Amino acid sequence: MKFLCVACDEAMTLKETRGPDDGSMTVVFACPACGHAVAMLTNAMETQVVRSLGVKIGGRTTPAAPMEMVRSSLTTRREGAFEDDRPASPATPPAAEAGSKCPFTGMVNAAYERTALPWTAEAEARLERIPAYVRPMVRKGIEQHARDHGYARIDAAVMDEVKGLFGL
Amino acid sequence: MKTYHDIATDGGSNVAAQVGEQAARLARRLAGVRHVVAVMSGKGGVGKSAVTVNLGAALALDGLTVGLLDADINGPSLARMTGVLGQPLRLEDGGVQPAEAAPGLKVMSIDLLLADEHAPVLWEAPTQRDAFTWRGLMEMHAVREFLTDTAWGRLDVLLIDLPPGTDKLPNLVDLLPALDGTLVVTLPSGVSQHVVGKSIRMATAVLGTPVIGLVENMASYACPHCGREAPLFPTGEAAALAARHGIPYLGGLPFDPRLSAAADRGTAFMVEYADTPAGRAFRRLAEQVRTFLNPEHPFAPSPRSSR
Repeated sequence: MKFLCVACDEAMTLKETRGPDDGSMTVVFACPACGHAVAMLTNAMETQVVRSLGVKIGGRTTPAAPMEMVRSSLTTRREGAFEDDRPASPATPPAAEAGSKCPFTGMVNAAYERTALPWTAEAEARLERIPAYVRPMVRKGIEQHARDHGYARIDAAVMDEVKGLFGL
Repeated sequence: MKTYHDIATDGGSNVAAQVGEQAARLARRLAGVRHVVAVMSGKGGVGKSAVTVNLGAALALDGLTVGLLDADINGPSLARMTGVLGQPLRLEDGGVQPAEAAPGLKVMSIDLLLADEHAPVLWEAPTQRDAFTWRGLMEMHAVREFLTDTAWGRLDVLLIDLPPGTDKLPNLVDLLPALDGTLVVTLPSGVSQHVVGKSIRMATAVLGTPVIGLVENMASYACPHCGREAPLFPTGEAAALAARHGIPYLGGLPFDPRLSAAADRGTAFMVEYADTPAGRAFRRLAEQVRTFLNPEHPFAPSPRSSR
């Protein structure tokens, strides 16, 4: 995909990328002649398609790490599948801040995992009843539901709301 | 006004170069692999994975270095069949060391990464809805990563176990710098051969890939006590199918219940039962594959070297 400034008949160049935010990337292009800028906004499916190609919008600055897509994107991955799998220490910065080896994938993952919503012990216990391999996906779905409804935390009431969706 | 083709770059992402670099990395990794062979059928349940494992074991028993890649992302079985489920994977030499199984097989499968044996493959996404638009791409990229980022070392043969479906071979051909041969597996049943015929047409007429031939799994029953073989179904139809498509018929593999029992135990049948009718059939198949790949020196493995 390329962008053309119609007024100048000049190819626009990539200026910056933002996000993804709730699955949407913002990619800004600007005309080198007149400076006119446009933003391409992707929906979640389009973001995922780019992600699945293993390419980085804006270009790669670091080489790809071995199996980075599978390791970062497989929700049902086994902890400890790789010998270098280590639980993150509290001092470890988030992937995006640490400079993920796959910048685009790293950004996507950081965005998907971004949540400041606390869980009550009861809600956590109910989540534990779900099979382990779908738990991360369900957790994100519940947090998304809570954000969409403006809730400040995940508690029993929120779990009751979504139990029909996830069988809690 | 300029058109798409008047503009040389994509504005800064250089996606074409990134995709080109992916292909270059794959080519560099496979430079140490002498032959890449796809095991395919188009039809599910014909025993592709059992053929892959035991053909690989037969080649390994002949002294060749063999890798097995499970390209069936949603229905992986090679790790279980070779007993390597749960083996931790080491990052080394800029890649991931494959699991190792008797008799000297290097195995890579997404099953090695999954949380437990019942866990399906689910990809991280803001929503799993409308995933049909990207799930196939994720699976293809996963196969690309397994090919590119597995530290295969030097291999004589890399066998790729394809999932069912006539679209899988074209996807693989798009990824690989070269495919040296395709082995097609069928059952004696008419339904199986109906679907397998489409795969053969895809491999030959559409893609023009080199086809080693058609092997008929469960073609006969070998008595485990006396060794006598008897046909399970009417014979000759698989040979006729191969002849219709102009590919070699490589013969039949007898059904032996110990094949599935060995797979359930996580051991290649060939490790324990090489000297049985089914074992001898796999050895013949291995010889046919070797002859196809290296007609002048079918028994010559590549010079060994450390990884």
